[in-house]
This record gives sequence, C-alpha cells and structure tokens, in this order.
Amino acid sequence: MPERCGSLAANLYLSYTLCRLSTMGKKDTNVRMSLQTLRVLEAFLENPTVQLAGAEVHQRCGIASGTLYPILLRLESAGWFVSQWESIDPSSAGRPRRRLYRLTSTGLRRASEVFASFNRGVLA
Amino acid sequence: MSLRNEGWTESEINGVSKWLIHHAALQAPESLSSRLEEEWLADLECRSTALSRLGLALGCCWATVVIVNEFSRIPAPAATPVVTAKGYLTPADRNFGYFSLRSGTLFLILGLHGAVFCGLVTTLSVTRGLAAQPSLPNQVLNPVPIEVIVLPGK
Repeated sequence: MPERCGSLAANLYLSYTLCRLSTMGKKDTNVRMSLQTLRVLEAFLENPTVQLAGAEVHQRCGIASGTLYPILLRLESAGWFVSQWESIDPSSAGRPRRRLYRLTSTGLRRASEVFASFNRGVLA
Repeated sequence: MSLRNEGWTESEINGVSKWLIHHAALQAPESLSSRLEEEWLADLECRSTALSRLGLALGCCWATVVIVNEFSRIPAPAATPVVTAKGYLTPADRNFGYFSLRSGTLFLILGLHGAVFCGLVTTLSVTRGLAAQPSLPNQVLNPVPIEVIVLPGK
C-alpha cells in the first residue's frame, strides 16, 4: 500500500510538473511553452522583421482569439515581443488602430533556441 | 438555418460583439483595459463574417479570464488587487497562488474522479456485503424415512 501511494504521488507530481511546464527559458524570460505558443513563434520566425497584428497571426496560425491574445501578452511581458500602435489616424482611417507585434532580438534568439532544441531532440 | 432567419441581423450581431469586447476589456487589469479594447476592436474589423466576429468577441471574453488570472499572479503594481467600494472580490483579486489555472483544473478533475471512485467503491462494498449476508437461519432437518420398495417377482 505505501508503495502504491508513493507511485501515485510520483505520478501526481509528474502531472503537476507537466502542467506547469515553464522550461525552455531562463528566469528572466520565463515563458510557458505550448503547441499554440510554438505556432505563434513560427509565424513570426518566417520573417522576423515583420510586424503582425493579432488578426494576421490568427489568419496564419488559426489559433482562436481566446488563446492567441494571452500568448501575445505573455511573450511581450517576457521580452520576446514588442508591440506598438499602428501609425494611422483612426478618425481618418475610419477604424481603430491595430496593435502590431514584432520579435525582439532576445525573442528571436530564444525562439531559435527553442526550435533548435526540438530539432536536437528529434535527431537524438 | 441562417441567423437572418432566426431574427438576428448582422448589425445586431456586430453590436453584441462590440458589447462583449467592451465588457471583456473592462474585466481586464486596469493598465491593459483600454489597450485591449482598442486592439480587439481593430481586429474585429478585420473579420469578414458576423459569426467570426462573434467568435472573436467570445474568445476575447475567455482571453480576459486567462489574462486576469496570469496578471493576478504577477506582483506588479498594475496588477495588484483592487479593493472595490462594494466590498466583494473582483476577478482581479482571484489568485490561485501556488497552482496555475491549468493545474488547478487538473487537480479539480482528479479530485472529482477520486470522489466518484470512492463513492462507487463504498456503495458497491456495502451492497455486496448486504448481499453476502445469509438471510436464512441454520436449522436441523428431520431425517427422511426411507422406504424399501420390493418389486414383484424378485
């Protein structure tokens, strides 16, 4: 019985660790990686200098807005992205300004490391 | 079955979508509220159909829940809990502390499964115990008299 409890506790701890998977980063740029986060990063890595709005990321990745915007904010707060308003006049354009996201040098380096680590894992 | 047949016009759906986005942005942390509303309204304009706009608005509501949860765990001045005048907790006050929302959901599901399993085990053991109890008392049977039948001709 104690062995069963021990294995159950180990499994629970493993599940907890997997759920709080905040690896692949150092403490300053700690980002919880998920498949959706990787898809967002992949969309930006196609052209690292491009600025994308949330709607464009949605068109490229197909990620629902409920998942997409928290990912964008998470990556921005971690320093992987910077964002700025679109340089238009909303009154003359007749629509609100879009928020444009762009990879930072840190984000580019870290995203490249993440995808490189996946390649190493696949090849190993 | 189209939305027009259901009595919903496209302008009404757009109005509902904008209201949902406005409501979702109000629930977000104060430092992000106006930014998120403008950003989401701009992305709303990029959607072509009314249903996709409604989907975006509903997704923004869910995004607010996630953002509020994450920002409530970050000890930033903009994310500190706001004490309302009404005296009850706002969504910004929710702090799951040690567990993330996903971990909390996992443990909640595990707990519910465990409770159901324990309930089933308890119920079944009681039922089986009751069924195993003999309801008939032991009693000694009277000996049956043995009659010897003699066949004719033997």
